Amino acid sequence: MTSPNAEGWTVVVGVKQVPDSDEVRIDPDTGRLDRANAPAVLNGPDRDALEAALSIRDAVGGTVTAITMGPPTATAVLEEAVAMGCDDAALVTDRAFAGSDTWPTSYALAMAAKHLNADVVVCGEETTDSSTGQVPPGIAAHNGWAQLTYVEDVEPLPEENRLAARRDVEGGHERVAADLPVVVAVAYGEFDARPAGLHRKIFAENDFEPDQLTAEDLSIDPGDVGMDASPTQVGGMDTVEPVERKNEILEDVADLLEPIAATAEVDG
Amino acid sequence: MTQQDDEMAAEGTEVDEVERASDVWVFLEEHAGDVMPVAWELLTEGRRLADDLGEDLVALAIGEDLEDVATEALARGADRVLVADDPVFEPYRADPYGTQFREMVERRHPSIVLIGGTHTGRDFAGRVAVPAHAGLTADVTELDVDEDGQLLARRPAFGGNVLATIVCPEHRPQMATVRAGVFEAADPDPDELATLRATDDSIADNDRIEPVEVFIDEVDTISEVLVRDVTERADVTDADRLVAVGGGVEGDLGPAIELAEALDADLAASRKAVDEGWIEGARQVGQTGKTVRPDLYVALGISGAIQHVEGMNDAGTVIAINDDPNAPIFDHADYGIVGDLFEVVPQLTALLEGDEEVPDAGAADPEEVFQ
Repeated sequence: MTSPNAEGWTVVVGVKQVPDSDEVRIDPDTGRLDRANAPAVLNGPDRDALEAALSIRDAVGGTVTAITMGPPTATAVLEEAVAMGCDDAALVTDRAFAGSDTWPTSYALAMAAKHLNADVVVCGEETTDSSTGQVPPGIAAHNGWAQLTYVEDVEPLPEENRLAARRDVEGGHERVAADLPVVVAVAYGEFDARPAGLHRKIFAENDFEPDQLTAEDLSIDPGDVGMDASPTQVGGMDTVEPVERKNEILEDVADLLEPIAATAEVDG
Repeated sequence: MTQQDDEMAAEGTEVDEVERASDVWVFLEEHAGDVMPVAWELLTEGRRLADDLGEDLVALAIGEDLEDVATEALARGADRVLVADDPVFEPYRADPYGTQFREMVERRHPSIVLIGGTHTGRDFAGRVAVPAHAGLTADVTELDVDEDGQLLARRPAFGGNVLATIVCPEHRPQMATVRAGVFEAADPDPDELATLRATDDSIADNDRIEPVEVFIDEVDTISEVLVRDVTERADVTDADRLVAVGGGVEGDLGPAIELAEALDADLAASRKAVDEGWIEGARQVGQTGKTVRPDLYVALGISGAIQHVEGMNDAGTVIAINDDPNAPIFDHADYGIVGDLFEVVPQLTALLEGDEEVPDAGAADPEEVFQ
């Protein structure tokens, strides 16, 4: 479908607005998490994704468009993406998407990536609020595209119409080349995000308005997304009881020898 | 394809889908014949679930030259092994594995599929859950089945402060990626293993090992592994003693390595130390890392974020050394020393090494001895 393109590549980068995990507190009365009062921020691993996406554009030309799925307030993370250097941004938003688990979420984003004629979709490793890492492979699977996860380094190969990447795998690394279009999930902390330029930042905050993409715009049947199309449900939540520890603060290093020796005895 | 499947589901075939599904599958992640330890852990846990359900435990082996893998799976409790043996499956790639898995699920309708939460396992699970329209729960640390035979997959959520139970009432299979080290692998039955391996060089005659049709051809793949560089794979999940490093070591692992040698311990790490590139990711403890249960866990310069603590809660004795008296790690430690680890750790190492020759060294003031 895609052919080597003298105009460069169309790169789409998926980002998400999440509650600031450092600010999520447990409500002492209910024992439940108070997420509503935590400030909403750009998902940390998405900074790596933005940098990786922009570096691909730097190498082969083309455009970078940031997308996010969420309510209109999620526009804030798109502004941040544009301030960092994305050419454009789109908000994937529809009441029909509410309550989606990773299956319909990746479906909606896959349709958005198709709509934008993406050659490459770049995502962060996972989100800090749900930490499944399932959406990037889900996007690839919905569209039948190649996928590269846990990516530490990207190397566009425009003459081959492929993208090569170094992947972090158990016990080592591998270098994999994938045909375009490809979905890339970059490893957290591997790409040093560039700072937003001052002029770009002013533009993003004052003049920029993202496109809105609804289910209808993306030819998505509302029955294929949202809570009803989500295979998983949360069946319950339990607060985790802390493990009892002795909590003894010792002044003398030598006092550690006895408890250390005791573990060896237990072990036999 | 997926849209059609989904429409079918919307027209009310969910109940059939649930009733039709049977058996517990365990994905045997292997690389060049080397099976990841988490796969054997899941086989043991899968055995328990299958027995509860009164269903078969089926091991799923995808790769090349899988005879030893298949026989070991039987000796470790699988009722049957499905073997997809073809060069296209070695090394692992998401697209051929995904196609193969989808075709097998469509024909055989497993009820539950368990996959190790390694990078490869998560890459695979995310890929295959979509076309199967399966419910997929990530990073599971507890598994059970309820009275209706539904899988209850529990996972830490919101940074580990809560345990969420995820269910999948209307779709099959019910899939989960499970964190390495959470369950203990039972040893293979040595007699059965010997019998299986002695009887024949070929697995073709064993009716519990079923070769399956290969549904993908190399020309149809859309990715290519150019180089694979895998050396020794650290496994901290079985260690009796661990010395774990965090951001406080500031890239200098020297004192930690020396302490680990004195303690005969392995090295582990917090996510911070891994993200900084000081130590390999396989040694990471906590959410997105491993669960460990050593007799002794020494945390050096680890602040004690809940995501880390979650992975070491099962440790026997926990010692924390940190220069921040307010670090949360002290709440999760049996013994704590507030101090500069670059001073405290060498003192402890020297005391440990001198311990055999000078049994009462502990009485000496370390400040005097090591100034």
